[in-house]
Amino acid sequence: MAPTAESGNGWYVYGVVPAEAASRELFAAARGVHASGAVTLVADGDLAAIASGVPLTEFGEAAIEENLRDEAWLEEKVRAHETVLEAALAGTPLVPFRFGTIFRSDDHVRKMLRENPHLTDVLERLRGTVELGVKAYLDVDEFERRHGDEAEAGEGGRAYLLRKQRDRRLADARASFVNACAEESHARLSSAAEDARANPLHRPEVTGGAGEMLLNGAYLVRVDAEAGFKDALSALESRFAPDGVRYELTGPWPPYNFVEVER
Amino acid sequence: MSTPAQSTGRFPQTTMGGRPPAQLADVLERVLDKGIVIAGDIQINLLDIELLTIRLRLLVASADKAREMGIDWWEGDPFLRGGTALESRLKRLEAAAGLESGNGKGEEEEKGG
Repeated sequence: MAPTAESGNGWYVYGVVPAEAASRELFAAARGVHASGAVTLVADGDLAAIASGVPLTEFGEAAIEENLRDEAWLEEKVRAHETVLEAALAGTPLVPFRFGTIFRSDDHVRKMLRENPHLTDVLERLRGTVELGVKAYLDVDEFERRHGDEAEAGEGGRAYLLRKQRDRRLADARASFVNACAEESHARLSSAAEDARANPLHRPEVTGGAGEMLLNGAYLVRVDAEAGFKDALSALESRFAPDGVRYELTGPWPPYNFVEVER
Repeated sequence: MSTPAQSTGRFPQTTMGGRPPAQLADVLERVLDKGIVIAGDIQINLLDIELLTIRLRLLVASADKAREMGIDWWEGDPFLRGGTALESRLKRLEAAAGLESGNGKGEEEEKGG
């Protein structure tokens, strides 16, 4: 039921870099979202788009709708998108594009660059920074071991009620601890960063063995301040580890979380 | 098919030691949901992004490997939270995408075979 099938090639754009800093050498080892198109740069003025050719039979309007429903396809392409940007990351500031920005010709890519001169400012703001991710999890058992008082032994109504009360106290204590720990962690990490985002938490069913997620943060950190950021993280670790909190540092990432222009 | 060039070696390496492959959830969260939105000629519009995130969620929801893959991030998405509104929206999205099997209405009967 596809509308009209398209043929020919389009240009998939991964992100934008300053034309002067960028070299296509950066992408020599990176495979793009489609094997047929090598990753290259399409420049206009001060800006260059990181792009590769894609067949419209796969990435055209009708085809991509179809392909997006194929999770294996999607995972492969999303990972390719990320890999290309990571290759660029080490060598130049870059503005990552959201997945699936496709143009019908390189002329259209150049036109896009001309029409978005503010990308130059975004690049300037990002220069010398990296995005780091910090997730924090609470090991609930650990927390309860530390904060629970002795279980009331014995049978009978009174012991039962006391146990109930204790469970409720423990749940309250955990809830307020989680809030306080998340707030303080985010505040400390933010103060060691240029910019910060607290993203939605992943739910316990899926974080599974990792514990209850209490922080899913992204931080824009100056490269020369990275050591300080890690110190702040270590300080949090020593402070909250005894309560059962574990931190996970990821990155450096392309600065996905810090390129949003108001929309 | 190019050689694994070491072209980035001369740049200051800011990674925390050898970098393990990123968790899919972290990559999806960023590549699909963050990053700058620029209108392309063939743009995946927001509706489609929503649709595909929901579909990914459905696809992995029943799979045991959902956990180890860590595919969950949309669970925290305000858009995707909240019971019945989601259900009906989901139905509309699926219907819009022509996922219902032929006979109109997009009504979910049993998922026979």
